[in-house]
Amino acid sequence: MLTDALIAGLTLGGMYALLAMGLTLQYGVARIMNLSYGELLVSGAFAAHWLFTVAGIAPLAALLLVVPAAFALSWLIYRVLLTPLVRRAPNREALEVDTILATFGLLFVVQGVLLVMFGGAYYSYSFFAVPVHLPGATVAANRLLALGFAVVVGALLYLGLTRTRLGTAIRAVAVDPVAAQLVAIDVRVAAAFAFALGGGLVACGGVLVSMFLTFNANLGVVFTMKALIVVIMGGVGNLLGALIAGLILGLTETFVATWIDPGLTLAATYAIFLVTLLVRPQGLFGIGRR
Amino acid sequence: MLEVSNLSVAYGAHRAVDEVSLMVGPREIVVILGANGSGKTSLLKAIAGIQPATPGAHIALGGRELTRLRADQIVEAGLALVPEGRGIFGELSVEENLLLGAFARRARAGEAANRTRVLALFPRLRERMRQEVRTMSGGEQQMVAIGRALMSAPDILLLDEPSLGLSPLLCGELFTAMTRIADAGIGVLLVEQNARRSLAIADRGYVMANGRVVGEGQAVALRTDPAVQRAYLGVAGGSG
Repeated sequence: MLTDALIAGLTLGGMYALLAMGLTLQYGVARIMNLSYGELLVSGAFAAHWLFTVAGIAPLAALLLVVPAAFALSWLIYRVLLTPLVRRAPNREALEVDTILATFGLLFVVQGVLLVMFGGAYYSYSFFAVPVHLPGATVAANRLLALGFAVVVGALLYLGLTRTRLGTAIRAVAVDPVAAQLVAIDVRVAAAFAFALGGGLVACGGVLVSMFLTFNANLGVVFTMKALIVVIMGGVGNLLGALIAGLILGLTETFVATWIDPGLTLAATYAIFLVTLLVRPQGLFGIGRR
Repeated sequence: MLEVSNLSVAYGAHRAVDEVSLMVGPREIVVILGANGSGKTSLLKAIAGIQPATPGAHIALGGRELTRLRADQIVEAGLALVPEGRGIFGELSVEENLLLGAFARRARAGEAANRTRVLALFPRLRERMRQEVRTMSGGEQQMVAIGRALMSAPDILLLDEPSLGLSPLLCGELFTAMTRIADAGIGVLLVEQNARRSLAIADRGYVMANGRVVGEGQAVALRTDPAVQRAYLGVAGGSG
């Protein structure tokens, strides 16, 4: 039971961490509060479902199609829809309000399209659903695979952002966009790239989630909320914070569902969120660091 | 050589900088003196491209027009600003700040040599490479800020109040560093409250009041100018 819950919690937490890393790139670097974030996750999940059931492409191969497509789409959204808002905003607060409204609209557009295409029903598919026997538990292989991929993608992202000049430049934009210009960083390009990268990450999360969860067209908002909570808990722009807060949230939800009552998961989520905000409003690990 | 002419900066109806012209040659240290609010910071920001200048201004570096370039392109063209309050990345390490200093394409070829030069200039940074910059003392942060600017291999370095809040000892180190920077072939344009020390190392100076240049000359001449002495060097008026 403990191993069961531990693995389920780590998988869920790994997904949350991945989502939060993407959102923290969009919010921390590009300064876009993207309320349609979860819709891209659901779109990724549907794309994986369609590619698997219709075209026979395995989800992991689907990543090679879905992630670049989501990256390109997000880049386009940033250039066409959000750049005019960035340009006219007199300050960060005004930009936040504008982008919240714009992406709130985008949320309903994407959700509407998904509802037309797939209806409101729950979808799932069976990929690599072989049981794996571990000491004390039996777990579906797809869950372990999703966890493994989340770890690999998260680690690559972390290393890319902390060990390369380009990644450090992206973090620098999150720390101080004016100073970033003073070291020859084109902040507009960096922001578009960070937003697109966040889009690629959340779509990757969507593909991974679709391997072991049932999903429907209305689920996006739930993931947006979870990602937002993890970002705020970990500290905006803080990658390690997102990772750790994601794992804490995933494990807590699973433990509460296993030992107390599945109906209390959401309550538990908001309880830790509230406690974090009360005790450390800047997030568990502060803003803008690694 | 940096040439600025007819540069104005306006905040609404208020003109913070009013038709300023100045020049800085290679290896030259030029100081801008002036009371608080005389427009010195706005002037430097406008030259570096982070504050828009009103139309009609001309800023040229080595004959190349900078006036319509973005701030990041201006760094790429060879002009680096150490802004008021230093503008370093506090949450990043010294190492990362210096790495980003060389983000400009122009800086890549000479990166290793520049790094050696910066660490020779500020040996204190050597042991602090992995430290988060915001946890360092004011003087050390200023070293990081200047070091980061030098990593972009600039032809012209603008410094806004680098000695602000530093101890007299660190101040001395800082001014020595500035002369060494100019000796390396870089033109330095310096805004300073510490008129005595800056005139001691400068070649030339400008005096600003209410956004305008109201005086200019060789540093030697400015040091003995009665008006400058009264206003900025704390010499009592009358006797000269």
